[in-house]
Amino acid sequence: MTGTRARRVLGAWVVAAFAVVSFAAAASVWDGVYTEAQAKRGEAVYVQRCAVCHQPDLEGGDMTPALVGGVFTANWNDLPLSDLFDRIRITMPLDSPSTLSRAQTADVVAFLLKSNKWPAGETDLPRELEPLREIRIQALKP
Amino acid sequence: MRNGLAALALVIGLLWVVVGVSAQAGQPSTSRGEWPHYTADLKGTRFSPLDQINASNFNKLEVAWRFKTDNFGPFPEYKLEGTPLMIGGVLYTTAGTRRSVIALDGKTGELIWAHSYREGKRAAAAPRQLSGRGVAYWTDGKGDERVLYVTTGYRLIALNAKTGAMINSFGTGGVVDLKVGVVRGIGQQINLETGEIGVHSTPTVVRDMVIVGSSMREGATVPTHNNTKGLVRAFDVRTGKMVWRFSTIPGPGEFGNNTWEDDSWAYNGNVGVWNQITVDEELGLVYLPVETPSSDYYGGHRPGDNLFAESLVAVDLKTGQRKWHYQLVHHPLWNYDMPAAPILGDVVIDGKPRKVVAQLTKQAWAYVLDRVTGQPIWPIEERPVPQSDVPGEKSARTQPHVTKPPAYAREFLRVPDDLVDFTPDLRAKALEIIKRYKVADTPFNPPILGDVNGTLGAIVPATATNWPGGGYDPENGILFAPAGNTFGSRTLVAPPQGFSDIRYVSGIGGRPFVEVFGPGDCCAADAGRRTREELPQSPAAVKAPPVPGLAIDGIPVVKPPYGLLAAMDLNRGTLLWQAPHGDTPDNIRSHPLLKGANIPKTGQPGTSGVGLMVTRALVVMGDPQITTPPGRPRGAMLRAYDKKTGQEVGALLMPAIQSGSPMTYLVDGKQYIVVAVSGGNYSGEYLALALPDSELTR
Repeated sequence: MTGTRARRVLGAWVVAAFAVVSFAAAASVWDGVYTEAQAKRGEAVYVQRCAVCHQPDLEGGDMTPALVGGVFTANWNDLPLSDLFDRIRITMPLDSPSTLSRAQTADVVAFLLKSNKWPAGETDLPRELEPLREIRIQALKP
Repeated sequence: MRNGLAALALVIGLLWVVVGVSAQAGQPSTSRGEWPHYTADLKGTRFSPLDQINASNFNKLEVAWRFKTDNFGPFPEYKLEGTPLMIGGVLYTTAGTRRSVIALDGKTGELIWAHSYREGKRAAAAPRQLSGRGVAYWTDGKGDERVLYVTTGYRLIALNAKTGAMINSFGTGGVVDLKVGVVRGIGQQINLETGEIGVHSTPTVVRDMVIVGSSMREGATVPTHNNTKGLVRAFDVRTGKMVWRFSTIPGPGEFGNNTWEDDSWAYNGNVGVWNQITVDEELGLVYLPVETPSSDYYGGHRPGDNLFAESLVAVDLKTGQRKWHYQLVHHPLWNYDMPAAPILGDVVIDGKPRKVVAQLTKQAWAYVLDRVTGQPIWPIEERPVPQSDVPGEKSARTQPHVTKPPAYAREFLRVPDDLVDFTPDLRAKALEIIKRYKVADTPFNPPILGDVNGTLGAIVPATATNWPGGGYDPENGILFAPAGNTFGSRTLVAPPQGFSDIRYVSGIGGRPFVEVFGPGDCCAADAGRRTREELPQSPAAVKAPPVPGLAIDGIPVVKPPYGLLAAMDLNRGTLLWQAPHGDTPDNIRSHPLLKGANIPKTGQPGTSGVGLMVTRALVVMGDPQITTPPGRPRGAMLRAYDKKTGQEVGALLMPAIQSGSPMTYLVDGKQYIVVAVSGGNYSGEYLALALPDSELTR
């Protein structure tokens, strides 16, 4: 192994290790995984595309599940945030599924996190599935 | 000993081959380990005489195979509700947002064939979408085998059960257009593409006929009371030709027409038959569970009792002529539509053999009638009920009240006895909340004009039993009913200008108006039908406070159990037992207000939405809600109960909630259970369970 190549490999390991550390640092929805500004953008999308069924207060209706409260958080408890993201991306809104962009979906998820009183942080929730897989939904504060 | 067991296994195997061969020559039956109807048999029992899986080994069940339905439509389905049929070792069912039909190998889950029918806008406009509940099967016993189902766009299609090919000699190229002949108003044919009608339930095959019901949009906030009129039709299973038709809203000169005062039969619709239809072949009677007229909670445009809405109607198998009817609710105002297949049982009452039909309901009563005559087996009393004060409404003076068996869940709210008492503070808060509602000591508490600053609504059962219905053990005369055990409220509001020709629809004064969409009223393949413009809302309403619901920070205002499984002895008309169904929801178990309180197993409020199956050994039903209690991974359980005591004798972890009722069958000496699971993060899957081979030879 040449010195340059060894340095490159070592560099990659350092980056990887750093990534693991940073994911470990943001491992659950309690760790500030979205920003206030993002939740605000998500709210605008929600009002336009989701509120007709899930209600402006996210409480759901006769035929629509609530997106806040204990039943919602229990239903998604212990799952990676990517599962919630994908469920919305694939099937919502029900009358024209898959019409929200990934960025809009991430914004809506941020709004749902805020509505369930999970704290905001410094960086936007990503729109890529891989990092979302590393964030766990935990109903109760660990 | 080992050799002896091997020999026994061989004999059993040979017997099975012999029985299997003779089964092919005749009609399929649960007695041969098959499951030939959605409800197991024509009597609606969901009963199989199998007992290889029993209390001693239920917890040893393992996943035999899984079948994921994601690609049977342009996007995955998260509400898979089917119960497969099993005939001759092959499963037949529906799958996916396209409502495809699939045939699977019962031993392995391998796909044998798949069929789909593309309907474009017609499917997208359908009021009852997604994969539905499954299919029906017919055979002449001589090799002609057919699978029949109704598409999302309301077409009846016949398929060759061996290949999945459409049967050309049936209807037109294998298709009967069920919208042809369906009317609204006075005999006005509905539009074949956009006309409102569909159905989730499976057709009923009896002899050489296939019987199909009808379903319209969810009726809480509909644009007109003059929508499609309900009907049931029977077709020749060979040709697709109509044999008979029963119209649920009688026309002039027909029996019951005078129960639509002011000629209101002419300009009202719905009254569908959306659930499973059952049959007594011997008596030649077909039992129709008929539903609500438009609209669900306001009847001001349809004065009178409104026959045959919310009635059980027995019609002649050969002609479709009405033989008798029993109206469970006069002038319906509660959406107490018949939510379950009528169940037929033969019992001994006061020493006399009786043929009965039992109807489970949203109002937690089992109505038990003589199924020959339609007369109640035990007294059902017409009692005066509270009257509506909603302008234009003329509620019925009396309603039938069941006296026996006792209600199998809460049929009305008892204040304060039913209210939560985990702590004195919670009881006090519950009493405060209830003061804002109107209560009555009957399920027939009429809807009010609720206002967010005044009385919020009329308290009614939140739905005891819903579409999955119940089951019945014919060997012991036991009727099983899944039941939600909490409450909801009914309130009406004038709809926004231009929304509807109905004077009042579901809603509350002082809050933004919200249109109620039914499940599957939205989301099929080719979806995208919503074109209605945004509704005008008053700025004051938009800013109004939310309506406080019937819960205290997520804790229901009523005591547990929130959901239960009930068993009734139909020989005696008694309640045998009620068992809370499902683990205590996480948000209750770990609620900060309940720290230190002794919380029993509460069961789960969504229990109205799960169904069951009955075997010679057990009654089996899955959880409607995901939980993560200490000591086991996140998930929902498939539970087995002792039929006589209600004691839970086994529970298996499933990856998602039970979204379709379980069924069971035997192939090559091995018993399987198949159940549809889906919801939340988990897309539709048929999950097959069986005992490991090591358990079978022991």
